[in-house]
Amino acid sequence: MAASRSDDRLPPLVWAALLTAAALMVAPLVWTLLLSLKSNAELVGNSGAALGGPYTLENYGAIFGNSSTMRWLLNSAIVSLGTTAGVLVLASLAGYGFARLDFPFRRSLFVLVLLGLAIPSQAVILPQHQLFATLGLHNSYPGLILPGLIGPFGVFFMTQYMRAIPKELDEAAMLDGASRFTIFWRVILPLTIPAQSTLAVFTFLGSWNDYWWPLISATRSDMYTLTVGLAASQMNYAQTSGLGFLMAQAVFASIPIFIVYIIFQKQIVRAMAGAALK
Amino acid sequence: MPGLQLRNIRKAFKGTEVLAGVDLDVAPREFIAFLGPSGSGKSTLLRIVAGLETSDEGEVILDDRRIDTLPPGDRGVAMVFQHYALYPHMTVRENMAFGLKNARVPRAEIDGLVTDAARTLEIEELLDRKPAQMSGGQRQRVAIGRAIVKKPRLFLLDEPLSNLDAALRLRTRVELAQLRQRVDAGVIMVTHDQAEAMTLADRIVVFNDRRIQQVAPPMEIYSRPANSFVARFVGSPAMTIIPARLADGGAFASVLLGNGTRLDTQVPTDGLPGSGAVEIGMRPEGVRVCGQGQGTTDAEVQLVERLGERSLVYARLDDGAAITAEDAGTTSAKVGDRVGLSIDGAAAHLFGPDGTGYHRAAA
Amino acid sequence: MTSAERRWQGLLFVAPFLLLYLLILIYPLLRGLWLSLYQVDLFGGGTFVGLANYARLAADPVFGQSLINTFLVTLMIVPLLTVVALALALALNRATRSAAILRGVFFSSAVLSVTIVTLIWRFILAPDAGLLGELWTALGREPLPFLSAPNLVLPALAMTTIWWSVGFPMLLFLAGLQQIPQDMYEAAALDRASKWTTFWRVTLPSLRRTTILVVMLQTAAQLQIFGQSQLLTAGGPSGASRTAVLFLFETAFGRWELGYASAAAEILFLIILAVTLTQYMLTGRVRAGEDGR
Ligand SMILES: Nc1ncnc2c1ncn2[C@@H]1O[C@H](COP(=O)(O)OP(=O)(O)O)[C@@H](O)[C@H]1O
Ligand SMILES: [Mg+2]
Repeated sequence: MAASRSDDRLPPLVWAALLTAAALMVAPLVWTLLLSLKSNAELVGNSGAALGGPYTLENYGAIFGNSSTMRWLLNSAIVSLGTTAGVLVLASLAGYGFARLDFPFRRSLFVLVLLGLAIPSQAVILPQHQLFATLGLHNSYPGLILPGLIGPFGVFFMTQYMRAIPKELDEAAMLDGASRFTIFWRVILPLTIPAQSTLAVFTFLGSWNDYWWPLISATRSDMYTLTVGLAASQMNYAQTSGLGFLMAQAVFASIPIFIVYIIFQKQIVRAMAGAALK
Repeated sequence: MPGLQLRNIRKAFKGTEVLAGVDLDVAPREFIAFLGPSGSGKSTLLRIVAGLETSDEGEVILDDRRIDTLPPGDRGVAMVFQHYALYPHMTVRENMAFGLKNARVPRAEIDGLVTDAARTLEIEELLDRKPAQMSGGQRQRVAIGRAIVKKPRLFLLDEPLSNLDAALRLRTRVELAQLRQRVDAGVIMVTHDQAEAMTLADRIVVFNDRRIQQVAPPMEIYSRPANSFVARFVGSPAMTIIPARLADGGAFASVLLGNGTRLDTQVPTDGLPGSGAVEIGMRPEGVRVCGQGQGTTDAEVQLVERLGERSLVYARLDDGAAITAEDAGTTSAKVGDRVGLSIDGAAAHLFGPDGTGYHRAAA
Repeated sequence: MTSAERRWQGLLFVAPFLLLYLLILIYPLLRGLWLSLYQVDLFGGGTFVGLANYARLAADPVFGQSLINTFLVTLMIVPLLTVVALALALALNRATRSAAILRGVFFSSAVLSVTIVTLIWRFILAPDAGLLGELWTALGREPLPFLSAPNLVLPALAMTTIWWSVGFPMLLFLAGLQQIPQDMYEAAALDRASKWTTFWRVTLPSLRRTTILVVMLQTAAQLQIFGQSQLLTAGGPSGASRTAVLFLFETAFGRWELGYASAAAEILFLIILAVTLTQYMLTGRVRAGEDGR
């Protein structure tokens, strides 16, 4: 990131404010980490104990022995990866169609898809719930994945990206005897890899963190995703596991997402630049 | 009939007509240049031949086969695009092999074809590079290579040299000339650079105003332009065309310029339009500067353009008609001078009221 | 292949998405509208009641309270969030290592799920077991009952949300700052504009579109606030933190009053739609829907 005016230094007062803000930002995370490193017994009635030793990894050990957390992790992974793969496929196909091909009602259909950006998922939750009940898809992976595939953003994003690729390339491929699908698959798709990775990161983050749909669709604890599982744990933590264990679960559940974030920081920033431009 | 035939091609974009019934015959192995101002429909016609646009009407026939109903890849034509359109994610080798793969040519054969073409174009050492790792000139060659490997019956080039700098453009022009000796196929090249068209083409097709204005070999386009548009468009600096009146004469027409000067041309009187009003066209090399009163007529110098080995003198006759003349590189003419102009009437062209050109009898 | 076949080919590319889209989004949208005009419960059936569900909503103090709570919490969050994000972006728009690290710090919470965020904040806000409680006690004060006092609970939700959400708007502002041409600053410097003038006359006007985007996106997002309220307080105490979506959720999946919940969903939809369309109009995104060619 190139800075404008990188030469002038921040005034000390601004620095102080910035560091205070950063401390406020980090404190909850550190607090959580500390709690997760304390034995449950020590924290009962005195969470302040987390500010001092001794620290232990026993809560993390317990997670690996806890079949339901591992099961939720697996569910989250399957749902998020499935959703991401599905979105990439559907959005790329549709994006190519909208960006390059002429077919009846193309404009109206594209506008219809754009309208979807203004439909909040809460507004349609009830009929969706009924629909999936009718199809017998609740408490199943397809049931958890399908609603994540219809976000119009991916289609919009891929359409815009593909429109920016010179049409001459498609034409050259046509003269090279490539079919429509070959052009899509062998010529255009490889050129969209940066867009694919951006879309993948956002879809993965969104799906991993989604709470609303799995809360409603996954009612059996073996089909919970990590978000729903953690919600259930925190609602009745008093009766079950201790505070330290709960916090270890939280840390554990955020590890994959932090890994994705750190690896794909560039894509996130780039996507933001695109959004600010539009 | 072998070669390419275009029959009554019409095309309109959203109600705006771009091509109004175009006919053209291209012989096998002929090099044709499409020349014309921008927006005159050159690219559109080329793209109709390629199959990238569909014509509203008309037929495209290549080697006795009607191809306008075929998809682009099945037409036996290859195209070199203005911006090359190399596939950025493929190496040169893959770029060249792509069309052959789609045509299901066996692997081993593809390798041979690609290697041969690369050798011809001297791009063997580039085969494993990607387009981004090459200079403009190298990309240009690869684009040509990608067309050659397919052994098409017709090459279509849309302003292939317009993205190169001047020096490279000249060199590539020479290479294109050599190349066409080696390939057994016709070539159609769109250009708006007349020097390019003149150097390379067997015949030039001049476009303007939705129509073909003239189809002829380069020198004929230059010396016997079919109409005043072609006459003005081809040749640099442009031909001087000024109004004149036919005077009575013999077998060859004589005209009076606006200032009364009489010129005897070599244009046969037969076939000239009846009425007296015509236009006369003179190339600068047919009008020489001389001393005042010593030439065909006098004129006042408006501008002197020194080109080194010669000078161009832009002058005005008494009646205000602008005329371009040539003089030695060492000319002493200055702006505001009155000079004489010696006009070579034998080299003059006449244009009828509808713009049709009339020229001296062919040698 | 005839050109008519070629014309329909494009539909094949968009069909997979479009079919799912129609089935899972558009059909439920219309079906929801239909449902809102009926009295339906879990056991189906249903009688047409016209706008009775809407009339009942208008008279329902619980729904009214949930709307007010939603607007209040949105009002607490959006302006503050926007200003904080902008301030952070201005301070961190430089190429130093420390700025890069701090950008990462301020964005880090944004990648967490709402359940983790509430889990963390529950044990900060809770008076008996929370970090704030511990600090207050350490200072010899009575801990504030953030989650159980009616006048503290919405600010507590707002604080949690701002902590969670500051990253994205900050990145948007940073991206907006990057797009201000450097020569505008050079011109301002040549005109001997002070830093303050430069900020008001160059930086801020250039960020107009980004600011609209941030405000509208955040408004739309916060009007749908749900997880924080459901998980931290379950809407309590006595409805003081019940948001519109929580009301919808309880009505639909707690009491299974499907028609009534659908009517609430439609109201919510209209509010969000108005915000989104305003954003499109203000930022000119409507034009992006057209071909551009
Ligand atoms: N796809 C298109 N849609 C609408 N108009 C077009 C399209 N392609 C070309 N035209 C128009 O047709 C005319 C001829 O264009 P073109 O064949 O590209 O000219 P040239 O290659 O001679 O410069 C121009 O006026 C151009 O604007
Ligand atoms: Mg052109």
